[in-house]
Amino acid sequence: MSGVSAPLPQWRCWFGAGLCCVLLPLARAATPVSDGTTEAWQFMANQLPRDAYARLGRIKGAPTREQALASAVVAVDYQPVTQDRLHDAEAAFAQLAQGDDEVADAAAYMQARLYQVHFQQPDYIRAAALYRALAERHPASHWAQLGLVKLGLLELYTLPEPAAPADRIAAAMALLGRIHEEKLQRDLHLQIAHAGTFYEQPLDLVLAHLKEVDRIGGLVGQVPEDLAIELGELSLRAGHYADARKYFEIYLRDFTPNLRSVTVRRRLEDLAVLEAKAKEGRP
Amino acid sequence: MRRLRSRLALVLLCAAYTASLFWVFTRSEPVIRTREVTIYFAHWQIERGPPDGINAAIKRYEELNPRVRVVQLQIPGATIYPQWMRSNLAGETGPDLMEWGAWLPGQKDIPARYFTPLTSELAKPNPYNRGTSQEKIPWLDTFHDKLLAPKRDSPDPGQIYAVNITECTLRLFCNVELMKEILGRVVVPRNFDDLRQILAVVKEYSRKTGRPIAGLAGSRDTTRAVAESVLVAPLMGVNQRLDDAGFLYLYNRQMLAAYLAGRWRYSEPAVLAGLQLVRETTMSMKPGFIQLRRDDAMIEFLRGQALFFFYGTWDATSLRRLAPFKIQPMKLIQAMPDDPEVGRFVVGQGGEGIGETALSMYLNKASRHPAEALDFLKFLTSVPGQQLFTDASLWLPAVNGVSIPEEIRNFRDYQEGLSFGQAPYDALGTEVSMNWDRNFYYLTGDNGSAEKFAAAMDAAMPAAMRTDLNAELRATLVLVKPQDPVIVGWAGLPGERARIRREESEASQTMSEGLALQMELQLEAMK
Repeated sequence: MSGVSAPLPQWRCWFGAGLCCVLLPLARAATPVSDGTTEAWQFMANQLPRDAYARLGRIKGAPTREQALASAVVAVDYQPVTQDRLHDAEAAFAQLAQGDDEVADAAAYMQARLYQVHFQQPDYIRAAALYRALAERHPASHWAQLGLVKLGLLELYTLPEPAAPADRIAAAMALLGRIHEEKLQRDLHLQIAHAGTFYEQPLDLVLAHLKEVDRIGGLVGQVPEDLAIELGELSLRAGHYADARKYFEIYLRDFTPNLRSVTVRRRLEDLAVLEAKAKEGRP
Repeated sequence: MRRLRSRLALVLLCAAYTASLFWVFTRSEPVIRTREVTIYFAHWQIERGPPDGINAAIKRYEELNPRVRVVQLQIPGATIYPQWMRSNLAGETGPDLMEWGAWLPGQKDIPARYFTPLTSELAKPNPYNRGTSQEKIPWLDTFHDKLLAPKRDSPDPGQIYAVNITECTLRLFCNVELMKEILGRVVVPRNFDDLRQILAVVKEYSRKTGRPIAGLAGSRDTTRAVAESVLVAPLMGVNQRLDDAGFLYLYNRQMLAAYLAGRWRYSEPAVLAGLQLVRETTMSMKPGFIQLRRDDAMIEFLRGQALFFFYGTWDATSLRRLAPFKIQPMKLIQAMPDDPEVGRFVVGQGGEGIGETALSMYLNKASRHPAEALDFLKFLTSVPGQQLFTDASLWLPAVNGVSIPEEIRNFRDYQEGLSFGQAPYDALGTEVSMNWDRNFYYLTGDNGSAEKFAAAMDAAMPAAMRTDLNAELRATLVLVKPQDPVIVGWAGLPGERARIRREESEASQTMSEGLALQMELQLEAMK
């Protein structure tokens, strides 16, 4: 009879059940076993340190180096953060940093971060020394490269020597040659440019770094708008009228409608007057 | 007989059973209505309009998503919301989606501590825009102003934490019948001097008739709105002078640091000219207005005891629904270089914001249902969601592609002009703002003057500005430290998305750190 299937022979049922019994454990074995670290990293990335802490706490047996790193990192932001807990984390980072793998580099970087921003009393000199040591040991490591950007910040604003603004900026600029990751280069260029305006350094110096930031690109949030305006306005103030026009026009093209559009249009009018004057002044 | 009775009982039983079945399957609802997920949406916009608009969007969203229930929480804003928000966030009982504003006193650190950045989501198209003019456009670019305020007020320059629901501006709401009675016709002020003259006529009319009619409905809140508008023009030159970074715009931290460095004072001529304008306008409010709140001013206006009510377009729906007279929204035109009193300080026409969006909604980091909450936010800020919101609330939409009802179309008729800064001089921070209110009596009334007020402010400001710059610094640092585990967390995850998020976090952390270090140096230098 069509539409009605005959009952399965008994042997087929037994065979099917047996197959299930064999295949299920095999399938289970084929599935990658999570050691909990990936979930912990995901929790940390999502700013959920408590969940990361709980996940790491469920891991049984001696922790791997990666698990030990994750446990120390999560302690940095797991409330309440106490100085004792931070010191414990530092001891863990220091021990892990003795190795010769990526975990060691990340641990060394985090150890420096503790001295730079996390301890109640920052120790900028110690942080700088740790960044420098990491960059000497593994210059190509991402953590060493990121550490050089943070070292740049210390050079620009906090280290006792060099103290003169121009020397601070020169010291930070010297680090640029050692940073090979373009996005990190961009971040340090931006910091050097902002330190330049903060310390009232020559506009051409500031503009050179802002142009590098613009060339590399990839920034998000409010920064790209501010950058286009800064490039236009500071170029105008420095007398680079062609550049000023270019960046103001880019701003009007890419970021309208915007609160500053009218101001930028007015600056373009001012610019036209200045350009005309400059032409008249030519022999 | 007995048999007949049992048959009758059986028939009745069958009839009752059938009726019950009919009722259960056609009319009744479950005793407890449950959906799998409930998300809470909290805001303080309890004016007439927005709750209806949000409800309209919720209703449609729940039809589209049968497993999700959205509960709108309307919390009174002026005094309750900040405390309610802080205590719920600290206790991890906060709603999934919350309104927040950068001007809320003492709440500067909230986004950094409790909210999740939406930057990466904003780079993707909003799926609810499928089939509309905004299809395939990144969510961020569908907003009328590309989320200017959430970008500007972000504690982290590299991240966007909020999306906006509406668009607001300030308007001078005029009681048309009262104006005809006093002036004989409707006079729309074309410049600030016209407004001066209208306010003078109202004062004279009130004196002559003995009727208590004020030019402007008065309260502390509406005074701030008036002050923030009239201060713009004379102070534009001061702002331009302080703009070392070349942003053509000043952030609060820059204004605070410039004050501490002695680069501007309330007693300098341009600021005094601005304060003089504030004095002139508030002198047309009834005595004692500084003790009153926005609702008191609205009642004064609705009773026909004030010609104008100057406040945001967010009150337009309430005014329209409650006023027994015709209302005409007008612009409060700022002073221009030809102004007889302050013109010499004015460098050009001040702008009205060119359509800045508002009502910023944030995603709680501790939300139990972040995916559903984000999804509802996407619906509410999609073209269909915003159309429902706008039609039911008569508030402007925040996104492009929505048809605007005739009644509110002129709210988009903005005065173009020069931009100013993150906040006006009365609201650079919590302490500055409190000192403004505390000393305001020096500015107004028969014994007040701009000079007296400026002297009082300059006496209080070094400490106040220092406290506010410290608050800016703390809010920045709150963000820097937790970013370290975030960065290492992204580095521990595979894939392109994780790499991009790591790079974004690194960039924004470095920027925040740079700003914090600058602020520390500025504070140290002024010790």
